[in-house]
Amino acid sequence: MATLAEPGLDHNDGPKRPNIARAGLQLPAVKDYAQVDREIIATLRPTKAWFTLLMASITCLGIGAASWIYQIYSGLGVAGYSPPVMWGVYIITFVFWIGIGHAGTLISAILYLFRAGFRTTIYRCAEAMTVFAVMTAGLFPIIHIGRPWKFFWLIPYPNWRLLWPNFKSPLVWDVFAISTYLTISVTFLFIGLLPDIATLRDAEKNPIKKQMLSLLSFGWRNSENEWRHFARAYLFLAAFSTPLVLSVHSVVSFDFSMALVPGWHTTIFAPYFVAGAIFSGMGMVYTIIIPIRKFFKLEHYVTLNVMDAGAKLTLFTSMVVGCAYIVEFFIAWYGGVKVEQEYFYNRVFGQWWYAAWIMLTCNMILPLSLFSQKLRRNPTWLFILSLFINIGMWFERFVIIVPGLSHEFEPWQWSGYRPTWVDFGILLGSFGWFFMWFLLFIKQLPVIAIAEVKEIVPPRTRKSAAHVHAGGH
Amino acid sequence: MKDLTGTDIVQEPVMRRDFLKVLGVGGVAATAVGCYSDQVEKLIPYVSSPDNTVPGVSTYYASTCRECPVGCGIIVETRDGRAIKIEGNPDHPVNRGALCGRGQSALQGLYNPDRYQAPMKRQGNALVATTWEDAISTLAGKLAEAKKAGGGSAVFINQHEQGSFPGFLDGWLAGFGMPAHLSVDAEAPLSAIAANRQSFSTAWPKHDFSAAKLVVSFGADFLDAWGLPVPQQVDFAEARGKIDGAPRVIYVGPRRSLTGLNADTWIPARSGALQAVAEAVGAAVTGKGNAALTSAAEQAGVPVESLESLVAELKSVKPSLLLAGGSDANATATAAAVNELNKALGNIGLTIKPSEGSLAFDGLASHAALRDATERMAAGSVSVAFVRGADPAHAMPGGTKFGEAFAKVPFKVSFSSYPDATTQLCDLVLPDHHSLESWGDAETVRGTLSLQQPTMDPVFNTRATADVLIAVAKADAQLAGKYPTDYRAFIAGRVGGNAGLTKALPTGLTKGSSLASPAAKTISAKAGPTGDGEYFLHVYTSPVVGDGRGANKPWLQELPDPVTKIAWQTVVEIHPDTARKLGVAEGEHVTVTTTTGTLSAPAYLYIGIRPDTVAVATGRGHTAYGRYANGCGSNAMSLLGVAEDARSGQFVLSGVRASLAKAAGKSRMVTTEGSARQHDRGIAQAVTLEQLKHGEGVVHAHVFTGQAKTEFLPGLRAPVANDAQGDLGDPKSGEKGQYDPNHWSGAAKRRWAMVVDLARCTGCSACVTACYAENNIPTVGAPWQGPQFWPDRTGFGANVTRNREMAWIRLERYFEIDREPKDVEFNPDFDTRVIPMMCQHCGNAPCEPVCPVYATYHSPDGLNVQVYNRCVGTRYCSNGCPYKVRYFNWFGFGETDRAQYAFPEPLNWQLNPDVTVRGKGVMEKCTFCVQRIREAEHRARAEDRELEPDEFTVACAQACPSRAIVFGDAADEQWAVSKLIDDSRAYHVFEELNTYTAVVYLRKINHPSSLTTAKA
Repeated sequence: MATLAEPGLDHNDGPKRPNIARAGLQLPAVKDYAQVDREIIATLRPTKAWFTLLMASITCLGIGAASWIYQIYSGLGVAGYSPPVMWGVYIITFVFWIGIGHAGTLISAILYLFRAGFRTTIYRCAEAMTVFAVMTAGLFPIIHIGRPWKFFWLIPYPNWRLLWPNFKSPLVWDVFAISTYLTISVTFLFIGLLPDIATLRDAEKNPIKKQMLSLLSFGWRNSENEWRHFARAYLFLAAFSTPLVLSVHSVVSFDFSMALVPGWHTTIFAPYFVAGAIFSGMGMVYTIIIPIRKFFKLEHYVTLNVMDAGAKLTLFTSMVVGCAYIVEFFIAWYGGVKVEQEYFYNRVFGQWWYAAWIMLTCNMILPLSLFSQKLRRNPTWLFILSLFINIGMWFERFVIIVPGLSHEFEPWQWSGYRPTWVDFGILLGSFGWFFMWFLLFIKQLPVIAIAEVKEIVPPRTRKSAAHVHAGGH
Repeated sequence: MKDLTGTDIVQEPVMRRDFLKVLGVGGVAATAVGCYSDQVEKLIPYVSSPDNTVPGVSTYYASTCRECPVGCGIIVETRDGRAIKIEGNPDHPVNRGALCGRGQSALQGLYNPDRYQAPMKRQGNALVATTWEDAISTLAGKLAEAKKAGGGSAVFINQHEQGSFPGFLDGWLAGFGMPAHLSVDAEAPLSAIAANRQSFSTAWPKHDFSAAKLVVSFGADFLDAWGLPVPQQVDFAEARGKIDGAPRVIYVGPRRSLTGLNADTWIPARSGALQAVAEAVGAAVTGKGNAALTSAAEQAGVPVESLESLVAELKSVKPSLLLAGGSDANATATAAAVNELNKALGNIGLTIKPSEGSLAFDGLASHAALRDATERMAAGSVSVAFVRGADPAHAMPGGTKFGEAFAKVPFKVSFSSYPDATTQLCDLVLPDHHSLESWGDAETVRGTLSLQQPTMDPVFNTRATADVLIAVAKADAQLAGKYPTDYRAFIAGRVGGNAGLTKALPTGLTKGSSLASPAAKTISAKAGPTGDGEYFLHVYTSPVVGDGRGANKPWLQELPDPVTKIAWQTVVEIHPDTARKLGVAEGEHVTVTTTTGTLSAPAYLYIGIRPDTVAVATGRGHTAYGRYANGCGSNAMSLLGVAEDARSGQFVLSGVRASLAKAAGKSRMVTTEGSARQHDRGIAQAVTLEQLKHGEGVVHAHVFTGQAKTEFLPGLRAPVANDAQGDLGDPKSGEKGQYDPNHWSGAAKRRWAMVVDLARCTGCSACVTACYAENNIPTVGAPWQGPQFWPDRTGFGANVTRNREMAWIRLERYFEIDREPKDVEFNPDFDTRVIPMMCQHCGNAPCEPVCPVYATYHSPDGLNVQVYNRCVGTRYCSNGCPYKVRYFNWFGFGETDRAQYAFPEPLNWQLNPDVTVRGKGVMEKCTFCVQRIREAEHRARAEDRELEPDEFTVACAQACPSRAIVFGDAADEQWAVSKLIDDSRAYHVFEELNTYTAVVYLRKINHPSSLTTAKA
């Protein structure tokens, strides 16, 4: 092992043009491969704080599980549904988590294809987030349905009655979209992890763990051939996932736009939902990455330049979403459909004003602060803003689903909606479920892609570090 | 245990599933060894099946409805020995096939889980079960004592029932030296009866709505609970259904009841001023001058112009029909003045036919007589009291203190089937059979005797009161010989013995022998103080739960009031103007205080009530009437003191002074109403006759194109819309799909459709109850039907406050106003539209393509089908539905092991075996009574014939007293529905959505005139 110099933190933190992926400029404080290995592997050591958080997550999950069991036993009446508001917190939360699942693939796949350098240090985190978010989202259609023990009827499986699902139903499209997306996301995450698992294997002392990591890494030996295949596979999967980012949330939006409900039945939904999904995903990425970079002492990997670049993406998607909001109102007015106009009026100035204004404030107004470079480079503000974005995006789905259903064609059937403790218990449980997996992940596997960081680490130590640490024995 | 006919009585509660299991096993066993096991004997309703009964095939019994005195003929459908549905008897002269919600709910009285299951005897403070032998010997002993003492101080209070029982009862009482019984009915229109007796020498003449060109009601709620509700509604709808020549209706009274909402004009006269109005209008019409009009208008609080135009209209439009109800202190005088006016206008013989009147109210005792008996009880001069069917402790005004007085009677006997406020004070309870379990008769149409027969074995260990009376009489040596073996023999004696009875029973009708109607004793009435509050209290009889007797039936509790749309709740109706003055929002509690009592309840803002009037419906606030009634709402009668109309002895329910104050507390309204107005969405449309004649306002946009049986064009006549799901055939092989009308199966040759005539529909909601009964729809409003842990809302109607009621057909009641009711200022001139809304069975249904599992799909004959077994409960179909007619099972309302189970034993005996009871987590909705369609088709196939036009109909159409609903095959020209859809008034709701609905509405007809009430 070569002697490595300790890298000093560069408090200047690089130039003001962050997107130029130039070695030595992107991560000026990361000096060599050994440092990368040491610092990133160090994050895997369990700490008390981590354990506390994990226990808290599991507690939340327990509350959610108990609520769900009670709901399965009693019936959906224990949730706050008020017909005709037949969809409520569960579908809102489903769309919320699916949306969050989108930023990961966007960052790992689309930005990879676009060679956006700032993705390198955050993509692993975002991609893990994607997988767990989709895993969370996937539970909600099952939680939502009246007879969850029959959910498999939505899956086309061969049966002697020759009964198939209704391929005209967007819910069946959802089944395909989500399962495809989950499969691809998991595969993509795993493929990207292969060299890193090998690195962990090499650093691992415990023989049993070493054996397991060895299995998981598929016996990665760091050969030229392996790298060649790896690079092609990664590129292929990136290309494969890219359309999924667009299609999955489009399909989710069809759940709404295919129904006749005023405020749902509109062609803008697909792009609107995709933009919203990416926006919400960026929000969640910040919520996760900012504490991680602070507590795992990774500020010199996830640099302010990275934050800055991500914030610009957030700002852009926020403006797309805001534009969609405005277009919705415009079309309602321009289209001249009275039912739709009344619905939009009711949404903003009527019964649901508070939800609509939370949505508009969090998603449209507050992100405008990101026009300020100072704020874009202020992790505290970004963290606070990301929380607002999460809240705002949850309320966006609330505003789409609940006011639409509560104020339809039949005035006699207009109603309200009051979620109960079961709704909130399961909502809490979903966060518990998500964070449980995420917390387990960040202590088992590197939250920053070691191999990819090494690709952009300044070349002066490349030879020795690559030889010694990237698995070459 | 045997009943009177010698048949074994089933006592053990039977689960339907067990029953079916055993039926199968038992049937095999019977064939194999020719005998039953012990278990089988206990479980099968019929131990030895009567001849000609086939398991799974209904038997029908003609009988007479006993839920109110009208005496409607009913047909009771029984299946395997259990009554499962009550329908109107089409051959009966009273109701002509129609039946109201209350009549249909008799089943839930029969199967009420809170019924007495055995005779009860007081031991200390509690009533404990005893045997009939013991109970009868106790009663016989007491009667012997009473007879020895002269018996004159006994009081027998019987719920008024017309027929031979009152005479039988009086004879029995006389045998023990007791005075004649009091035949009471808290709902009875005593004022009108007294005035009719005075004017026409009959209690109730026939009111011929069809002959009238103008109907004026002075507080007579002939579509609510006043008079003979079902026959009146049948006649009224028939008259309004004529379109051209239909009568205009003017309603005079302080509150727009359902009758008031069906009126074209409302003159909002103050309670207590109706007499002045009637007399002044009478004077003006008969040419005695308009002088009195001004003071009458002032007294009534209406502009004099409105009375002047009423006079003008009465003068010009003939013949007219004037009715007077009302329950204020001078209601009889009002009715008498109105009768005189009818005479002066020459309406007698044209619209009022005294000779064809109803005998329903013959023998009725006045409220004053009941109050008088109460006073005697309070004075301690009554030695023994009997009560049967009535619950005076609940239904009498609080000021009479009936309960306290009754408690002073040394020996009190109740024949009530149910625990109630009166019965729980009694010393001996001898539970009567339900009317569906016992013999009886009624002769409300002169010369026609309507029989009442047992339709099934008794549910519990009860006994018909008449038989108990006979048994007691037989214990007396002097009387024993005078009585037949049982009451059945008595009835048979009236119709020519057993042979006559057997002949009469299939129709339930036979020639009557004119009953001697016992003359009611006149008791002088007591006028009460009116008090000095700022407001007029208007207590009205609930058209749904009546004086309270309906409150133990969940169907009625959950049936929204046709006017307020409130269920499971007592509300105080005030005008929005009043609410603003008091600073009260809807749902906030207000306290009504009279000199007698106070009542706090949520405020309901009603635009159809005078701002100086406060209305409360009767019928709720029970304390001992079973699980569905106790603690639900408040008793309006507690506000009323001892005050009677001097001429008729009718309790004064309206016009008492009251004060009103905001109270602490707020409740959610247990209402089915979302928004009270249509927001110009054209759901319930109307035209005037003028417009109709000139073709204005008639939109011909609805397309009924496409030749039936040949084309797949969108539209009603086509069997299915062109993009319907399903196998449309294989173009390669040339094989036609099932959805092709020319397919060999003929499955697609029919298109089931429905026409609803809004000119006829009054909003009475009888169809809703019919649907509950036919389709096993659970009620969801009982307090235990919500979540079991930490519910956010408990109490009666909690599920309804979340809109979770399951009524497959609902009555939407829209006010034609330009703002929300709470912002409305008083204006009597507003139009009301009612529209029954059920699944529209769209040809191009938005619910169908979205279902991921094909749980809802389109049948070849045009039905939108829901497959409960396949449903996973995504509720996507409901989101797609613009009519919002899909209902979800939020809890296990149909699952026996759930707290939320809607049919606690033996209510589940009523369930229709042809219809699935739905479990939790599935969607349900109107099926167009698919079980009836298939039954008719199968019958036709079995008889090797085609369906005959209008051979059968759906439950709602069958019950509808207005005959507003017509169901049938729109693809076949022979069916009535197929002609009606070509009416120029026809439209589809939300036609612009291209749903191609199978339900066609015919626009309501409005009858505006020069008589426009000036703004008050």
